[in-house]
Amino acid sequence: MATESGILMASIFLPLLLSPLAYFLGKKRGAGVVTWFSFGTLVISTILLIIPILTLSKENPVYEESYVWSQFGNFGLKLDGFSITFAVTVYILSAVIAIFSREYMIRKIAGHFDNLEKPNSHSNNTNNDSGEEELNKNNLTSNSGRGQLESLYSIEPSYKQHIDTQMGLYFALFLTFAMGMVGTVLSTNLIEFYVFFELMLVPAFFLIALYGYSTRKRVSLMFFFWTHVGAVLLLLGMLAMGLFAGGFDFETIKSNVSKIPSQWMTLIVFAVVIGIAVKLGAFLLHIWIPHTYAESPTPISALIAGPMSAIGVYALLRIWIDLLSISYSDYSIYINFWGVVTMVYGGAMALMQDDIKKLLAYSSISHMGYIIFGLGSQSILGVTGSALMWIPHALGETILFLMAGSLILRTNTRGMSNLGGIARKMPYTATIAMIAVLTMIGVPPTTGFMAEWIMFTGALQTGTENMDSFRVVLFSIAILTTILTSSYLLVMYKKIFFGKISPRFEKLRDVNRYAIIPMAFVASLALFLGVYPAPIINPIITYSETIFSDFPEIVSLPTITSLNTKIVASAIIVQEEYASFLDRDDTNFHHSEEFKSIKIKENR
Amino acid sequence: MVESIGFEGIAINAWLVWIVPFIGAALIPALAKKSIRFSNMSAVGFAIISALLAATLIPIVVSGSEIHSQIPWIPTLNIKAGILADPLSVIMTNLVAWICSLIIIYSVGYMHGDRDLTRYWFFMLFFIGSMQLIVLSDNLLMVFFGWEGVGFASYALIGFWYADRKKDYVGREGHIVRGIAMWASPTHAGIKAFLMTRAGDVMMLSGMFLIFMHAGTFGFKELLADQTWAHNMMEQNLLVPAAILLFGGAIGKSAQFPLNEWLLEAMTGPTPVSALIHAATMVKAGVFLVARIGPLFFALAAFDAAAFFEVVAWIGAITAFLLATQAIVNPEIKKVLAYSTGSQIGYMMMALGIAGLSTQFVDGYTAGFFHLMSHAMFKASLFMAAGAILHVVGSRFMTDMGGLRKNMNKTFIFMLLSGLSLAGAPLITSGFWSKDAIFAALLESGTSTGISLFFIAFIVAIMTAFYTFRMVGMVFFGTKSKHIQTIEQNSFNKSQYVSSISSDPTDEQRLKPDHENSLKHDSKHQIHEVKAVMWVPFAILAVSTVLIGLVGFIFEEEIHSIMASYLSSSFGIGETISTHNSATNIKQNASPTTEGLNPIALLSSFVAFGIGSGLGIFFYIIRKKDPEIISKYPVLKQTWLFLYNRWYLNSFLYWGFVKIPLRLYKLIWLYFENIIAQGINPALQYSMSFMSKWVKYTQTGVTQTYLFVFAAGIIVVLIMLYL
Repeated sequence: MATESGILMASIFLPLLLSPLAYFLGKKRGAGVVTWFSFGTLVISTILLIIPILTLSKENPVYEESYVWSQFGNFGLKLDGFSITFAVTVYILSAVIAIFSREYMIRKIAGHFDNLEKPNSHSNNTNNDSGEEELNKNNLTSNSGRGQLESLYSIEPSYKQHIDTQMGLYFALFLTFAMGMVGTVLSTNLIEFYVFFELMLVPAFFLIALYGYSTRKRVSLMFFFWTHVGAVLLLLGMLAMGLFAGGFDFETIKSNVSKIPSQWMTLIVFAVVIGIAVKLGAFLLHIWIPHTYAESPTPISALIAGPMSAIGVYALLRIWIDLLSISYSDYSIYINFWGVVTMVYGGAMALMQDDIKKLLAYSSISHMGYIIFGLGSQSILGVTGSALMWIPHALGETILFLMAGSLILRTNTRGMSNLGGIARKMPYTATIAMIAVLTMIGVPPTTGFMAEWIMFTGALQTGTENMDSFRVVLFSIAILTTILTSSYLLVMYKKIFFGKISPRFEKLRDVNRYAIIPMAFVASLALFLGVYPAPIINPIITYSETIFSDFPEIVSLPTITSLNTKIVASAIIVQEEYASFLDRDDTNFHHSEEFKSIKIKENR
Repeated sequence: MVESIGFEGIAINAWLVWIVPFIGAALIPALAKKSIRFSNMSAVGFAIISALLAATLIPIVVSGSEIHSQIPWIPTLNIKAGILADPLSVIMTNLVAWICSLIIIYSVGYMHGDRDLTRYWFFMLFFIGSMQLIVLSDNLLMVFFGWEGVGFASYALIGFWYADRKKDYVGREGHIVRGIAMWASPTHAGIKAFLMTRAGDVMMLSGMFLIFMHAGTFGFKELLADQTWAHNMMEQNLLVPAAILLFGGAIGKSAQFPLNEWLLEAMTGPTPVSALIHAATMVKAGVFLVARIGPLFFALAAFDAAAFFEVVAWIGAITAFLLATQAIVNPEIKKVLAYSTGSQIGYMMMALGIAGLSTQFVDGYTAGFFHLMSHAMFKASLFMAAGAILHVVGSRFMTDMGGLRKNMNKTFIFMLLSGLSLAGAPLITSGFWSKDAIFAALLESGTSTGISLFFIAFIVAIMTAFYTFRMVGMVFFGTKSKHIQTIEQNSFNKSQYVSSISSDPTDEQRLKPDHENSLKHDSKHQIHEVKAVMWVPFAILAVSTVLIGLVGFIFEEEIHSIMASYLSSSFGIGETISTHNSATNIKQNASPTTEGLNPIALLSSFVAFGIGSGLGIFFYIIRKKDPEIISKYPVLKQTWLFLYNRWYLNSFLYWGFVKIPLRLYKLIWLYFENIIAQGINPALQYSMSFMSKWVKYTQTGVTQTYLFVFAAGIIVVLIMLYL
């Protein structure tokens, strides 16, 4: 099965190898070139990732590349039910965010947002005035993407070299970051997993430290500290797993998982889950999230909130549920409970925010709560649903953070109390943001609903089939929390886009196509996968079934009790009958014995 | 390929009924680029094409057959997308399509000059498409797609005028009850509607999940074909809860108690939207859902689902009474109509509920459905007429109207006709016959519940007639109000007129909304009749409600026979083979035949109309007594206040679900998140620096100290070695 064709290898390492080139391209050829270069690199990597997926079929659902590595085992890259959706979506979103980064980051580096209006600062006059000047300057130059950036250079020529170099560095780090995330998803070895897991932290740290907002250095340290401590805990757990199982390859661990002593199992699960929960931002481990999401440069916030938090979901799925599946049912109820607490808490705190980015950070925490809840649901549908749930989360958070970025670009503020009535001036942003809000709430026809109903069905299934009233209560709280989710998102939308528009936004105009098209693309993806979810549901559900096939305590898929074929056949008869009825002019046909007999047949 | 995906022959028109409005919605932004007029025309065109397609399905009703067409959707979960066109859904889809088309035509006049027309048409068509999806889909999951579609479209349309100008608000400003403001901005109302219906949707989803996990399917046909799932659920006592949870969705969408409060604030939307929400889409979706699943649960008659029907009937009765009482005292024309909608839907729920409790399922079922049809027609007409009045008068308060009879002759006549239908004017209106059918169904159910419900229904009928005549009287009769006199005086002075209707003139000037300009333009001369594009649609509906009323009894019999054959062919619910469990405590011999009229029902319809309309005419049309006299009697005054304050239900909901949770969250935010949780970082930081300070003391840098410690260490080691 495992090949050495190198397609996945190329897909993973292409961005890493080309990242130094990105730096030099930026330095020598300018910001525009490096943006398109990075975008192209990520697109090629995505295509390289998709090529093997196209060869997969029902009989052969896994594509694996394996290389001899070291005493830790093989260096493998594997596409299976869980990793396909994660890997592809991470690359696609990274490519999309790369395009959005261009204008935003040039302005960021040029210092346009250094005196960003803080939330609730409309009483602070000095800040406001400078903000307004900045705003007017922005508006004067915001005719079109290209002209605007050229005029930016002409205003500040001394900045050009500085900006280009910094953009090169930004995209070099960006490519490494994207590569680290996809590498984590595809790896087949615990050590390899950990290497990629840490590899994505380093560029993220520098991206925040170099390009973040006011307290960026402090925040980047906080981010690194929290996620690194989590990762170390995870490493301890994984080392114990590997040592007991006698190898670090996923296959080895899966076959030898029963060798782990039960008292160690508790410790391992504890270490692994806590380590990953830091990355997810579960309740009490969420402390770094609001700071990091708020103070990162906005495209990086999007990348951290969307794709990177997904890595946490994936890690939990892979390392806990897939590899340690024998321990799953013992601890699932705690995870379930933790998820409910996280989602309620995140939602409640999101209602208290005025800073858009902080609100989105708490909404991300709350949404992660949904996923944690689903992962602890102890049923195939629930686990599938929460693996799916990550997609609306990533798409929605990405759009919303890009929306926040667009608002910063145009209005120079992050505080919702400074905004209002923007929908008239930025109609495209408003429309796309609405789709994102619906995705996050889980309203059909967005993909949010598809994930949500599958996940909640699974959770309720476990509760009713095991007669577990605690789980049913948790389910009720969780599904009622969707109302809380809708409330904070709609209130946010209302505060930003509805109401009376402030006179200083009279000349505001919508962001240019380099910002709109990425957002619109993600939004259309959210809609498409909501209407036709089969391509993402099928692999995940099939894989979950194979994982849990040996465990009767995991609630299985609901089985259809009636035979579909019978009904379809009778429907066809009725249709034919109806067609022939239309052909006939005899309107008394339906009174005839012939027709009645057919109908009786169909009803029996 | 074509065969395998199930697009056999004729079914394509049934699919297109709901697909065409969605296509239209998607195309409208592109079409609007060409010209406004063109996009108006195409919006009307898409609505009418959908209606014509719906009309091609009518042979199904005639022949009593059905179309059921499916395509694969999510293969791993055995979920198929499909449409089911049976007599119930075909009648409903035609009703929806034609009324929506009329409302869309009316909108062309009403919304003329609004600068957000593209968005308006998009959501109107989206709304219609979603409703048709609910009506035609063959499984609960697709129903839910449409269900949330109408929810979202109503959110967007209720908050359509999102600039939150004062003139778009509802409620009297300054009316505060127990600390809760009773007036609301459009965007606030939109969120309120979305969240309250969402509460219902959550219940509906839970019910759907319960059914899906046992049956493995969402399809109505599949659920009926094999009933083992129902046995399993019954064993776990989950069948009735699941049914009631599903009904929870209908409670939310149809604004039934206790989720009724959003319906009033929903009046912030443009009036055609109110007409659409109240007549054909949104709130009717709930009733339709009950009509869809009711027979299903009744057909599983081996399992006693009486509790479900009991809940449906009582919720309907409570709502009917609750909202009718409030309609009596409300001063805003659209809110009176909104209350009356909730109340009338209560009637429908009552009828559908009693159907399941009685031996004659088809009686109550037909009555409920007939009332749905006649209500859709007269309520759409009433709303559009009310919109015409608002359009001209520029105020939502009936106290700002009065004496419009002469100036708006056509509006007066047609509003009176459809108002008579709402009030249930005997023998000539469809409202009379459908209400009479509900009375008859309640009386003939043979249960004690039916009798008590009948008394509630009777009282509500009196109130309905009263508030209808109150509305007509306040708008069209009596002397002209100050507001109207001002308009007439200022008719030659534009600027003064604008300042008289807008509370914030500078803002209005700055925003320069085109709608305002059109209003200005219209009112330049005098209070006058509206354009034909506006009055013709509601005239058509008003006339047709009377025409149906004239042949009311025959019409009712016709629906009865269609429904009877539909129920018996699709669900096996016949008039003779009722095997309802609760039938044990029902007198089996109670009215074996449904032919003919029930004299008691007929008489009580007459009496209710007589009392209600008599009082209404006495106080508001011939105005023998000023209704202000109630303020002389403390008891009446307190009752009035209680009703005017909406039974304090709105305040209670706001305190319980908005204010108190928000205060709690604020406390958590201030004391837990900001101090304890966010304190972890500085706590670690300072404890580290504190420890490092202590450790620092050991690094003195003085050689003697190091030597001393070194020597001491060696001594300790030596002692340990020798001991």
